[in-house]
Amino acid sequence: MPMVLLKCDKDIPEREKHIYLKAPDEDTNAHLPLSNAATIPGTLSERGCAFCGAKLVIGGVVKDAIQMIHGPIGCAYDTWHTKRYPSDNGHFQMKYVWSTDMKESHIVFGGEKRLEKSIHEAFDEMPEIKRMFVYTTCPTALIGDDVKAVAKRVMEARPDVDIFTVECPGFSGVSQSKGHHVLNIGWIDEKVGTLEPEITSPYTMNFIGDFNIQGDTQLLQTYWDRLGIQVIAHFTGNAAYDDLRCMHRAQLNVVNCARSSGYIANELKKRYGIPRLDIDSWGFNYMAEGVRKIGTFFGIEDRAEALIAEEFEKWKPKLDWYKERLAGTKMAIWTGGPRLWHWTKSVEDDLGVHVVAMSSKFGHEEDFEKVIARGREGTYYIDDGNELEFFEIIDLVKPDVIFTGGRVGELVKKLHIPYVNGHAYHNGPYMGFEGFVNLARDMYNAVHNPLLKLAASDPRGAKQIPMLEAAE
Amino acid sequence: MTNKVDNLFDYVQERCLWQFASRTWDRTDNIDGVLKHVGSLLKKDRPAPETPAERLNLADAKVLVNDCRQRYDWIDAIAPAEVDEVIEGLKARLIDVTITRSKNRELNHSLY
Repeated sequence: MPMVLLKCDKDIPEREKHIYLKAPDEDTNAHLPLSNAATIPGTLSERGCAFCGAKLVIGGVVKDAIQMIHGPIGCAYDTWHTKRYPSDNGHFQMKYVWSTDMKESHIVFGGEKRLEKSIHEAFDEMPEIKRMFVYTTCPTALIGDDVKAVAKRVMEARPDVDIFTVECPGFSGVSQSKGHHVLNIGWIDEKVGTLEPEITSPYTMNFIGDFNIQGDTQLLQTYWDRLGIQVIAHFTGNAAYDDLRCMHRAQLNVVNCARSSGYIANELKKRYGIPRLDIDSWGFNYMAEGVRKIGTFFGIEDRAEALIAEEFEKWKPKLDWYKERLAGTKMAIWTGGPRLWHWTKSVEDDLGVHVVAMSSKFGHEEDFEKVIARGREGTYYIDDGNELEFFEIIDLVKPDVIFTGGRVGELVKKLHIPYVNGHAYHNGPYMGFEGFVNLARDMYNAVHNPLLKLAASDPRGAKQIPMLEAAE
Repeated sequence: MTNKVDNLFDYVQERCLWQFASRTWDRTDNIDGVLKHVGSLLKKDRPAPETPAERLNLADAKVLVNDCRQRYDWIDAIAPAEVDEVIEGLKARLIDVTITRSKNRELNHSLY
């Protein structure tokens, strides 16, 4: 089966390279969607910017650091509070937002003085906080503000503070993926190895690529505690800034989100010889496999098997209750990238759900290799999907539920198709054994919501206008 | 023999993230490392990993062999003399699909 040119893309035929319909007996050598490539002019992309990838996804999760955004106020507001990653210190990083609030005069005359003043002001206002991320944005990068020099001056004036600079303006890459990359490499270049951890267990690891969405990290931490494994650093769910400086001392790197955080795991392997274990933290079967491999690595298989048995006994009956009621449900996944390959088989194996279409905002070709190898035949695999494509794909595959973000979610709700928040979750956590029951519950509540039928009927008896027709 | 290679290849494609590491050299290391231990386990040897990387390869190999034991009857019956042939066939297939003919344009980038 060739790549697919949808009807809505007739004027942008380049989109054909980005949409694949898997045929029987095809592998990833036959076709692979072009990805991590510049958005085609004319397509209404759902992507975020590179700065967003650094700040919203990774840096902004760190629980004890000020996130100083050197740019106009909107760059700060639009990357604050749109993801729910709590922390065990009162959610400091979610309560506040910081910006240098650049105006026209600062752009004309330079913003370094304003940045320096803002950094001092923030530390003065929050004297208990001694750590900071500073981000450039498009305008401050374009005018050439030297944020590293400013950070250095502040650290000389305040020896008890530590500042990490992220020079990743929105335009620096084709999507938020570039921001993940810049922050990963910057952190290992400048911060890893600058502090030594207190070792409290013979078994140590980093857990990389989990951002404590609605408590994912904290749920998984209960497993590591029960296994007696010390997590040196979570990159970056519920993470403390200084813990992340100690990542070089772990014996094992366990990676969940390989797209946002695989870079630092690769560098830790290359520079410090720490092996990298990729696992899937979503799904019963996958989670058990991950725990089993970690247990085997450390030579504590018995503990791992005991944990798996306890969790299965507690949660499997609940999962099976939902599986009975969800089997055969058709699901679409329109998220960032990795959740496509994390979820496509786990929902099928654990819940009997069939994934019929998937779209990735910022996945690379590696992500499409993974998902096409795992995914079903007859399923659409889309890179950087746009709204009109979503409408057409919905007509083609008729999903019962769509896992996606709030913006696209509100769109599909207008078609009376339920959506579950695939980025920030509806009622998570979704990772781990308990988490996957939460995911199943939210999917069940979405698919079987009686309001859907009511919402689809007009009490005046008026004919519903199809969405595409309404848009023309 | 071909069927056995097909079985293992299908399992690896569906389940194993280590085959899709970021770069060619990572994929090569993982394929070589894990399959070496898979071979030992299929021969009922007792692998003795010496490095952290080998311990991880063994952890991946154990899950693979245990899963395949449940899927395929022939796993427990395979003769040691046939194991090397099956592993070599699987390795060649994985290298071909995930490295040699891969359409992933980032595989040979010199940096991560």
